[in-house]
Amino acid sequence: MSVTRRRALLGLGATAGAAALGGTAHAQTPLQAGFIYVGPVGDFGWSTMHDVGRRRAEEVLGAQLRTVHVESVAVPDMERVVQQLARQGCRIIFTTSFSYFQPTVRVAPTLPNVFFESATGTTTAANLAIYNARFYEGRYVQGVIAAMKSRSKQIGYIASFPVPEVVHAINTVMRGAWTIDPAMRVRVVWVNAWFNPGREADAARALIDQGCDVICQHTDSPAPIQLANERGVFGFGQASDMTRFAPRAHLTSNVNNWGDYYVERCRAVIAGTWRPGDTWGGLASGMIRLAPFTNMTPEEVGRAERVVEEIRSGRLHPFAGPIVRQDGQTVIPAGQTLDDNAIRAQNYFYQGIDVQMPS
Amino acid sequence: MTLLEAIILTVITASTPLLIAALGELVVEKAGVLNLGVEGMMIMGAACGFAVAILTGNTWLGVIGAILAGAVLASVFALLTLGLAANQVASGLALSIFGLGLSGVIGASFVGLQREVMPKLFIPGLSDIPFLGRILFNQDPFVYASLALLAGVWWFLFRTRAGLVLRACGENHTSAHALGYPVLRIRLLAVLFGGACAGLAGAYLSLAYTPFWSPGMTAGRGWIALAIVVFASWLPWRAALGAYLFGGVTILQLHAQGAGLAVPSQFLAALPYLVTIVVLVLIMRARSGASAAPAHLGTPFVPDR
Repeated sequence: MSVTRRRALLGLGATAGAAALGGTAHAQTPLQAGFIYVGPVGDFGWSTMHDVGRRRAEEVLGAQLRTVHVESVAVPDMERVVQQLARQGCRIIFTTSFSYFQPTVRVAPTLPNVFFESATGTTTAANLAIYNARFYEGRYVQGVIAAMKSRSKQIGYIASFPVPEVVHAINTVMRGAWTIDPAMRVRVVWVNAWFNPGREADAARALIDQGCDVICQHTDSPAPIQLANERGVFGFGQASDMTRFAPRAHLTSNVNNWGDYYVERCRAVIAGTWRPGDTWGGLASGMIRLAPFTNMTPEEVGRAERVVEEIRSGRLHPFAGPIVRQDGQTVIPAGQTLDDNAIRAQNYFYQGIDVQMPS
Repeated sequence: MTLLEAIILTVITASTPLLIAALGELVVEKAGVLNLGVEGMMIMGAACGFAVAILTGNTWLGVIGAILAGAVLASVFALLTLGLAANQVASGLALSIFGLGLSGVIGASFVGLQREVMPKLFIPGLSDIPFLGRILFNQDPFVYASLALLAGVWWFLFRTRAGLVLRACGENHTSAHALGYPVLRIRLLAVLFGGACAGLAGAYLSLAYTPFWSPGMTAGRGWIALAIVVFASWLPWRAALGAYLFGGVTILQLHAQGAGLAVPSQFLAALPYLVTIVVLVLIMRARSGASAAPAHLGTPFVPDR
C-alpha cells in the first residue's frame, strides 16, 4: 500500500513522467538509485570502493535496480547534481563523502520523496540516513602486524588531515602495536591531502629515510605502499586490496565493503521499509574487511587472525580503557569503553605517542 | 647512506618534473607565447606515457609516447593562438582543463595497472664517489635528462643565433618580422618544444616517480612549473634554482614532520608557496618594479600581408 503511494508521488514529481501510473507497470519498474562520488572512480581508494559497492548492488538486485553515478563532483556542485538525479527519477541517492554532508542536510528537506544516504555524517533526518565503517578495527590489526614485522621499532604513518577519523586511527594502530612491543614508536607526516600520489610518495621516502620500516597510510593512492616495495620495507593498503602494487611489501589492506549495505538499503526502498538510520559497521558486519595477509609467517598470520576474531566477536574492543591522553589526563579507566560519540570526537593522542597534535 | 644524502637524493627526484616542465615553458615564453596549459600537457604525458609503456612493455617507448602526446596537445594550442590568433590566456586555461579530461578518458582502461619502477642508472666510477657521486649519479635517467636539458636550453637561448632570434620574437615580434624572421614558425616550434617537455615531465610522474596511472595525478605541478618560470625571471639556471628550492622545501617539511618538529603541518605545507612569493617580491624590489618578462609575452602576432 505504502509502496504504491510512494511510487505515485514519485510519478507526479518526475518531470518526464516516464513510468506510467498503471498498477501493473509499477511492479516491473526498477528502482533508480543515484551515487555521487567525490573523486574519480579510478582513484583506487574511497570512490573506487563506493563504485564497487554500487556494481555489487546492481549485480545482486538485477532487474529490480538501475543505478546512475556521477564522479568527481565538487562540493559546490553537489546540490545541483542531486536535483538532477532526483529529476531523472532516483528515489535513493548515496552522497559518498563527509564533505557532502552539510549540502545533503540542506537539500534533503526540499526533496521529501527521495531517500538520502550520506557516507559519514553526524545527524539523521526523516529522509536522511548516515553510514560509515569502523576502519579503526582494521587499523588495530595493522598495528599488531606492524609491531611483529618491524625491526627498527618505528612505524611511519602517512596521514591526510588532522580530523578525529585519522587521529583515532593513529591511536588504534599504536594500541595494537603496543600489545606486541610496548617500545613501538610512530612518526607521523601530514600531507594535507587525501589524494596526491607524488606527495604521498615523498612522505613515505622521508619516513623510510628516518628509519621507519613499516608504513601505514591514511591517504588513498597506492604510491606509499609502492614506494615501500621499492625500498624493501613493509606497508598496508588503503581502501582496496593493494597487493598487486607491492607484492613484496604488502602485509594486508583495509578493504572498504559498501556493497552489502547498498543492497540492503535499496531493498528497503523497494519493500517500502526504508527508515533513517546511523550505521557504523565493522569487521563483524563485513563493512570493512582485511585483504589476505601476505609476506607474513604462518605464526604471524595466526596471531593476526586471532586478533581479527577477537574484534569480530566483541571480546576485544580497540577503545577499551584505560585510555590516557598525551598530557597524562585519564579519559576512561580500565573496565570502561569509549562510546561511539567519544570515538568520533577523539582529538587527542594517547600517552606514549610522542607526536605533537597539529594545532 | 646518511640521512643528508637521502634527503638530497629525494629533493632532486621531487624537483625534476618541475624543472623539466619549467624549462619547456621558459622557452615558450621567451618566444613571446604564454601557454598556461602546462598542467594539461603534463597529465596527457603521464597518461599516454603510461598507456604506451603498458601496451608495448617498453618504458622508453612510453617516454616517447608522452613527449609526442605533450607536443600534440601543444599543437592544438598553437593552432588556436598562432593560427587563429586567439587569446593565449583563455586558450591555455582551456588546454589545461581539456588535458585533464582527455587524460582521464585515455587512462580509464589503465587504472589499477602497475609497472616496475624505472631502474636507476648507475655510472661506473662516478656513482662510487663519496657523497657527490651518491647523490648526483645514483638517479634515474630522467634526472640526467633534466640536467642535460638545463644546459642545452641555456646554451641554445644565450649562445646560439637561433636562440637570439627566438628571444627577438618574444621581445618585439614586429621587428623580428621586419627583419625577415618567420615569427609564427619560430613560435610554433617553441610551443611544440614546451609541450614535449611537459609531456616528458608527465612521463616522469607515471613511469618513474609513482609508477601507476591515476586521474589528476599531476596534482598541480604544471601550475608550479609556470610559477617557477616567473620566479626565475626567465633565466634557465634560476629555473633550476626555483625548482630545487620548491622541491627542497617540500621534502624538508615532510622530514621536519617525521622528526616530530613542533610546527603546524599546514604552515609547513604552505611554506614552498610562501618562499616563492617572498623571492618574487625581493626580485621585483631589486629591479625596482620592472618586470623581466619578454616584452611581447602573450601578445598575438598577425602578420600584415
